[in-house]
Amino acid sequence: MTKQTHNSGTDQLMTRRNWFDRTATGLKAAALASLLKEDVYGESRRVFDFKPRDTHFEPKAKSVIHLFMNGGPSQMDLFEPKSELERLHGKSYFEKIAGEVENPTAAGSLLRAPYGFSQHGESGAHVSELMPHLATVVDEIAFIKGMFTTNLTHEPALFKIHSGQERPGLPSLGAWVTYGLGSENQNLPAYIVLDDPAGLPVNQTQSWQSGFLPPVYQGTRFRSTGAPVLNLQREYDEPDNITELERQLISRLDKVHRSKRNGQLELDARIASYELAARMQLATSDALDLSQESQETLDMYGIGDGASDSYGRRCLYARRLVERGVRFVQLFINFQIWDNHTGIAAGLKNCCDRTDQPVAALIRDLKQRGLLDDTLVVWGGEFGRLPIAQLPADKNEKNAGRDHNKNAMVSFMAGGGIKGGISYGATDELGFAAVEDRVGVPDWHATILHLLGMHHEELFFERNGLKERLTSVNPARVVHEILA
Amino acid sequence: MLVLTLVASTLFVGQQSLGQENSSELFKTDVLPILKAKCAKCHNADAQKGELNLTGANAILDGGESGAVISTDDPEASLLWEYIESGEMPPEKSPQLTQAEKDRIHQWIKSGAKTGAEANRQQELTQLDILPILQLRCTVCHGTRVKEGDLDLRSVESILAGGKSGPAFIAGNAKESLLLKRVHAGEMPPKQQLVRVSVKPVADSEIKLIEDWIASGAKTVEIKEDVANGKPDPLISDEDREFWSFVPPVKANIPTAKQSAKARNAVDYFVMAKLDELGLELSPEASRRTLIRRLYFDLLGLPPAPAEIAEFESDTRPDAYERLVEKLLASPEYGARWGGYWLDLAGYADSEGLQESDRFRPAAYRYRDYVISSFNRDKSYARFVMEQLAGDELADYTDPENVSQQVYENVIATGFMRMTIDGTFAGITGFVPDRLVVVGDLLQVYTSSMLGLTMKCAKCHTHKFDPIPQRDYYRLAAIFKGALDENDWLIPIREGSEPGQRDRFMTLAPTEERRAWQAEHDRIDSEISKLESDLESLRHATTNRLEKERLERLPETIRGDVATALATVDEKRSEIQKYLAEKFADTITVDPAKLAEVDEDFKKAEESTTNQIKSLNNSRPEELLVRALWDRGAPSPTYILKRGDYLTPGRPVGPGVPSILVPDNRPLKVQPGFEGSPGTGRRLALAKWMVEEDHPLTARVMVNRIWRYHFGQGIVRTLDDFGIAGARPTHQELLDWLAVEFMQHGWSIKHMHRLMLLSATYRQQSLIRDEHLDKDPENLYLARMSIRRLDAESLRDSLLSVSGLLKKEPFGKPDTVTRREDGLVTSNGQNGGWRRSIFVMKRRTEIPTILANFDRPRMSPNCIDRVTSTVAPQALQLLNNAQVKSWAESFAARVISEGGNTDAQRISYAYVLATSYQPVESELEITQQAIDKLRVAWKTDSPDMNDEELTAKVYTNLCHALFNSASFVYVD
Repeated sequence: MTKQTHNSGTDQLMTRRNWFDRTATGLKAAALASLLKEDVYGESRRVFDFKPRDTHFEPKAKSVIHLFMNGGPSQMDLFEPKSELERLHGKSYFEKIAGEVENPTAAGSLLRAPYGFSQHGESGAHVSELMPHLATVVDEIAFIKGMFTTNLTHEPALFKIHSGQERPGLPSLGAWVTYGLGSENQNLPAYIVLDDPAGLPVNQTQSWQSGFLPPVYQGTRFRSTGAPVLNLQREYDEPDNITELERQLISRLDKVHRSKRNGQLELDARIASYELAARMQLATSDALDLSQESQETLDMYGIGDGASDSYGRRCLYARRLVERGVRFVQLFINFQIWDNHTGIAAGLKNCCDRTDQPVAALIRDLKQRGLLDDTLVVWGGEFGRLPIAQLPADKNEKNAGRDHNKNAMVSFMAGGGIKGGISYGATDELGFAAVEDRVGVPDWHATILHLLGMHHEELFFERNGLKERLTSVNPARVVHEILA
Repeated sequence: MLVLTLVASTLFVGQQSLGQENSSELFKTDVLPILKAKCAKCHNADAQKGELNLTGANAILDGGESGAVISTDDPEASLLWEYIESGEMPPEKSPQLTQAEKDRIHQWIKSGAKTGAEANRQQELTQLDILPILQLRCTVCHGTRVKEGDLDLRSVESILAGGKSGPAFIAGNAKESLLLKRVHAGEMPPKQQLVRVSVKPVADSEIKLIEDWIASGAKTVEIKEDVANGKPDPLISDEDREFWSFVPPVKANIPTAKQSAKARNAVDYFVMAKLDELGLELSPEASRRTLIRRLYFDLLGLPPAPAEIAEFESDTRPDAYERLVEKLLASPEYGARWGGYWLDLAGYADSEGLQESDRFRPAAYRYRDYVISSFNRDKSYARFVMEQLAGDELADYTDPENVSQQVYENVIATGFMRMTIDGTFAGITGFVPDRLVVVGDLLQVYTSSMLGLTMKCAKCHTHKFDPIPQRDYYRLAAIFKGALDENDWLIPIREGSEPGQRDRFMTLAPTEERRAWQAEHDRIDSEISKLESDLESLRHATTNRLEKERLERLPETIRGDVATALATVDEKRSEIQKYLAEKFADTITVDPAKLAEVDEDFKKAEESTTNQIKSLNNSRPEELLVRALWDRGAPSPTYILKRGDYLTPGRPVGPGVPSILVPDNRPLKVQPGFEGSPGTGRRLALAKWMVEEDHPLTARVMVNRIWRYHFGQGIVRTLDDFGIAGARPTHQELLDWLAVEFMQHGWSIKHMHRLMLLSATYRQQSLIRDEHLDKDPENLYLARMSIRRLDAESLRDSLLSVSGLLKKEPFGKPDTVTRREDGLVTSNGQNGGWRRSIFVMKRRTEIPTILANFDRPRMSPNCIDRVTSTVAPQALQLLNNAQVKSWAESFAARVISEGGNTDAQRISYAYVLATSYQPVESELEITQQAIDKLRVAWKTDSPDMNDEELTAKVYTNLCHALFNSASFVYVD
């Protein structure tokens, strides 16, 4: 396959001659080979579009569905039973981990998992009794249990998992992916965010920002009710035929304007953007039309069923979008339901009631439609939780929860190039820290890019004299152990 | 394969264990001499290229900027060997290692890479290994501002002096040392306080270091901060210094050009000389309409009004164009346009970012207003730079009775250094590494906006392309440390009783204004106290009146006795009086505090007074808060951080600027800015250096920016990077000529505008001809002007201006924004109008959707240059958004009332308003046809509509179409 270079805006502005001047000094040497094949020179300055682009190597996945679990799901309560935690329940542990506790005054003693586990599938994966549906598809899943992150506060941790660094203003994973790969569908946004109609997540729209990448690569919010995209439909009353007359006028005036300006390619791009806007209105409505689905499918996703209805709809939208060639779909839940500081028993049940059936249905549905082979499904939050209890103000242990923990977290992947039915890595005997086969956030990012056919060090954007990358300057390793 | 590996590693282990002693022997006899001969030129005790010294065993074990160079676990993976093996070191032009030498080194590596110094490493520990640990873990409570238990852990002397409980350590006796006892007991740092003060516990490895140091006798060395010393800098070569942008600009002779008759000023000769080389010519001068539209957007960011166009078109004076330029330069709207560019560079925002709350920054707008005013007044750029980098050190601001407008502005200007994203207001997001991110962002803002060099790479290692050693990054950090010290931090939100103690606010105003402010407070105080005393008088009078009335209701016979009894104090009452008092107290006595409960009139009066006081208090002028950065003195030491990691401090450095920009490597002259200054004067030294006449970058960088905003791209296209990885100038002689001219004309930005705008180059048409596409498709050499799309702010401001809804009321608190339920963000208008976009709240999380769609970025930390995207959401915004549609209605109303009575007149007027051009015949025809069809369609849809309504509907469609037309959004 042709090696594709992702070069920056600045580079696009350079003449071919300058390019060689610079490459001759040894800079950009890596980029040179591909540059010769790509006609940078002939393209207009605005090459920031969604044309499908070549990958660095053969990709395993074409699309990604990121099921982002806001708040920090508890690693020792869902997929990794800890007998030591059971045994030492009630023993003090705060002193040993004091530097890692955000709320020292609320720190309680070690807390056992509130629900039981059993093993499932041929792989015998441990799954909490709270997730009976997911338990039926574990043989498609690779659990990453040695994962950890670097900040125990939501906002920085969210920025880290979404954009690789603990700060706002950097491109998110989806922005990098669409910048690198473009999209298979030119009538829908390449990077679509399905957020919860009940409210925005923490960090709000910053979780799907494009940062220093051109703004075209930021995620487009599709709302589940009303007009899915901002300004997608007319916000004022007007007969359709009149709107149509006005659009014709715009189009005719633009043609006159263009005809007087030979060679101005950006004016063509602008006319094209108006045409795309019109197509998007239709394509979007079609993509989100669930009446095209059978009752059986709706039932499988738990649509129409109180707790799972909302997330079920979004999971089904996700399938319909990747079916149409959308590159990156990201699902959010309102606020941060997995942030179980208190009442973790009730909290976890609520989270699982809302998401378990839809997530399992999505994996099964993709599988039965042959889409799972090239769709990567990624599940996980921004950090994990502590093995000790966090006590509510009244110190009632019955309402205990768990505080944030950056040293361990759980994530899983399925589909597009993933080896199903495995569990990779582990935390210590109490579940406090990842100790075995550790996977950092940069590794996790590098692995996702790898599955999409991109090398994390070669997907870059030049800025401030640096080749900015999703994995930044962090060492990052593709987790080959979980690849098929 | 497996077997082979096993054998090999067995052999290897065998060799290693065999060679322990041999290895260090080999090092002394063979390896060290080779390193001294071939590497020491750059890696000696003085030069330490890459922070690495290879001239001794201990120095080698210390490692360099990338950490350890010897890996004892896996000697073959040692950085030292990797560099040698790959041939990367010694560098190309230096004497190379012979194969025999390489073999010897490899033999030593294979033998375990021992130097013989490993065993006694702790003997080498000095206070330099220990103080950074204490600084990180302890000094927040035992340091500069707070000395809990009278203990100061910042220096060996103060540690030895100890606190209330005695000396903190005893040299040679780690066990008995108090400091370690408290740490071992888990008492220090106190675990429950860690998050509140943003401190992490002392790591075991750190405790071990402290123990080893004390046990080995607490050795100290003289601390010498590395600063420039006037001798040749071993890390910078003469060749490095020859790079074009590191040499001060000089004015070249103005070149000759074939088409010199077309030239209007010096700019043109430089441009035409290049065009001659390419075989191109300047394009003809554009029409007056094109020119006036171009000038208005370039200088004001607004479209010209029809009357202004007409005036310019009919102005037959030979200097009509020059007059127009002067008029626009004098317009107050100019600062709102050009100040906006600068605010992008500063990363201006009205909120802190990072955390969900995205906290609002009160008073940030004062900096915005300062920038706009500075541009309007054509403040010397040199002064502008100095105020923003060191306003607090230019003049004494500490005496509230002596604060001039200038002094006030100086301090406001330091807001430049407070614009970065900052989540350090909370303990949990305010740890030292979080603070270092803020420092790093500020350095990036400064270097990318004013300096024009990228230095971010040098935070972690010597710059890969530019001659910027890591040392220089930390010298620069040391300059800012008097005010921005990660060990002595001021938080971004108001906290504590007085501004400026815990936070970065200062109560400051020009003395006159402060007095007026005080007078207003005093006036309100006195009004309030008058209201209060009036109420008290009323209370007294009413109480007396009521009591009297009540008494009067008693039978006259006992009235006097009761009154006397009640008026007598308890102890002095007779038995009868006691009886009377007890019996009648409740019915007669009125409790003044509860008067409102018994007297309706008083209740009303009290309520009225309360309300008046409340509204008076509400009318109080706000605190005179300024968000600023000021040097507080006593900065903590600055260490080079290996790999940029705060946990691996290297040697200490002092304040300094990038050595590559100081040919004679003279030290920075640091002295306090004024007598009695609390500060170090470090930033003042930086500011003065920035505007020295032989500074190679400052003037060039600014002139290049001005050029970019007039011509679409910079002479150096990487606006923030004039270094080796940056773009080369397309017209270096022109850039240098302009830079020198800039300095010679008092750093006047308006002088630069005149030079550029009056040139024939600027006045060209933008039409592309075939020879342009053949010879210069990207228009680097300016044989034509480039068309440009309006940027986000100009677009929104134009929509409002054309619709007659733009309120030109500058300055002050930003206009609020509203986030609709679906996420759409819009600015809130006032009384049916809206102010220019620069005065709309710049919340990082709430960028008005129309601005975001047209590429207004989120600041992180700043924006060097806007990108121009062309995407569907822009079309959707202009086509479907209700607010845009309502503005089109206003536009239509204006066209109908001002444009004349016929369709032809009105169409023309609408065109001129929106696009500055008269419609050409085909446009007129197309538009008239559309209007006719729209009339019919509307009439069919709503047969009851009267003519007036019909006209409004039809023209709203036309105006809305114009908003969506390319000729509105693009400038030729």
